[in-house]
Amino acid sequence: MSGSLLIYDPVAQAGCANQELFRLESLSGKTVGFIDNGKPNFNFLVDDLAELLRARYGVAAIVKRRKRGPSVPVPDAIVNELAEQCDAVITGSGD
Amino acid sequence: MCSTTFASLGRAQATALGFSDLPLAVIPHPFGSRSRAEIRELAGDCVADLAKLLCEPVEARRGGDAVGSVAPPRAVLISVADDPDAINHLVRERNWGDGLPVVPPTEARVARMLNHSVRGRHDVVAAIAPGFGVATVEGIAINAVLAGCDPAYLPVLIAATEAMAEPQFNLQVIQTTTHPVAVMLMLNGPVVQRLQVNCGTNCFGPGSWANATLGRALRLIQQNIGGALPGKIDQATQGQPGKYTFCFAENETANPWQPLQVERGYAPDTSTVTVVGASGTSNMITHARDAHDLLRVIAGTMRVPATLEYIYGGEPWIVLAPEHAAVLKNDGLEKSDVKHRLWELSKLPASSLALKDLARAQNGRSAELGDIGSATDLPISVCADDITIVVAGGPGTHSVYVPVFGTSRSVTRAIAL
Repeated sequence: MSGSLLIYDPVAQAGCANQELFRLESLSGKTVGFIDNGKPNFNFLVDDLAELLRARYGVAAIVKRRKRGPSVPVPDAIVNELAEQCDAVITGSGD
Repeated sequence: MCSTTFASLGRAQATALGFSDLPLAVIPHPFGSRSRAEIRELAGDCVADLAKLLCEPVEARRGGDAVGSVAPPRAVLISVADDPDAINHLVRERNWGDGLPVVPPTEARVARMLNHSVRGRHDVVAAIAPGFGVATVEGIAINAVLAGCDPAYLPVLIAATEAMAEPQFNLQVIQTTTHPVAVMLMLNGPVVQRLQVNCGTNCFGPGSWANATLGRALRLIQQNIGGALPGKIDQATQGQPGKYTFCFAENETANPWQPLQVERGYAPDTSTVTVVGASGTSNMITHARDAHDLLRVIAGTMRVPATLEYIYGGEPWIVLAPEHAAVLKNDGLEKSDVKHRLWELSKLPASSLALKDLARAQNGRSAELGDIGSATDLPISVCADDITIVVAGGPGTHSVYVPVFGTSRSVTRAIAL
């Protein structure tokens, strides 16, 4: 065989441009949220990290919310609640 | 926070959503099997890293476009040597495929495919999780050619792509989970005859061009447009053969009850496609000759403690052989009777679950079931109607149980032929 052929690239680029991130100056006096993904042990990690963030870094308040399970999306109401109340929110992915 | 194995997924996911600089803390994998004391130690080890990440400067880049709001992409042409080996080498090099040889998506082949859609070439059908690549009609057609589809199959794939992007299907998780879930397609209505989709003997394969290439094309769309690259984003522990292709049609002439699309509110002459998050298939061979005996053994197959159904309340599918459907109908049962009986018979004592899984069920279903103890009988689904009954296959005493990914709900869409 000889010559060349033009074929389409079947891959689509991600449909989302990069967005702005804000950083915190410090954690002192801030409110930190946790979304517990419901995987085994993550609730314990959340409890321990919350305690350490308060004790060592002066975090003022912690808001914890637990999902029904890792494969369930976070309900919009919880997203909105955390967005209103928290300066930073931490969640997890993994096993 | 991600466990080590999931760090690449976490980064890719954040980037796809427009946050490539999202702070990501990594903890050692596996995580769930550790003791309480080990978790405490881990928290101590990682809290400094976490605090640093939250306060670390990031390079702020303005963009702010929401998912799907950028202009739909136009496909790019690439020059390759006109030789099957060179083409397949390119496919392998660029991770475009599923591991099988492909049909080259040339301009002419894609144009022929596009002639079979009433929609415009650059119409946006959906943004496909988890990469949120934009699936245009053109992009779907290109992947359909790649999979070997006939041009007339395109409308099925457009409807299927739309269906799998519906929130209740939970594609985000289906595409990224360690679970083996595959997207199964079932067709109903006149399209079945028109495209010769196999609903009879061997309907799960092999042998039918439509079944084989339609299922394959949807998988390629998941991968090439949705970004679910195996081993990188798709984290399935083993996966399953159904992820290559998984497409069949309901055997409506052998179905003594309403076919699925009619049950879901469509007219009998409307062609539909249904997408299902299928964990696999379990064969149920039984020569049971009365309804009670048959339903008892089917329910026995459904009662598997190590599935997500009982953790979340699922949507299990039963694909009845025509001969089994006839046994049930001849004993006077309607489809709703079958669902109710199976729902009762398939209840599983919570004590059957592993202790960690019982805790997950308690977290997942307390709002639905109240307090769950080891003596609780867990229903397989929230209600009997969530058990889906369809009829497919040829002669023989084999029905199929299809356990469905617990937090996904199947979606049916009309096909614009």
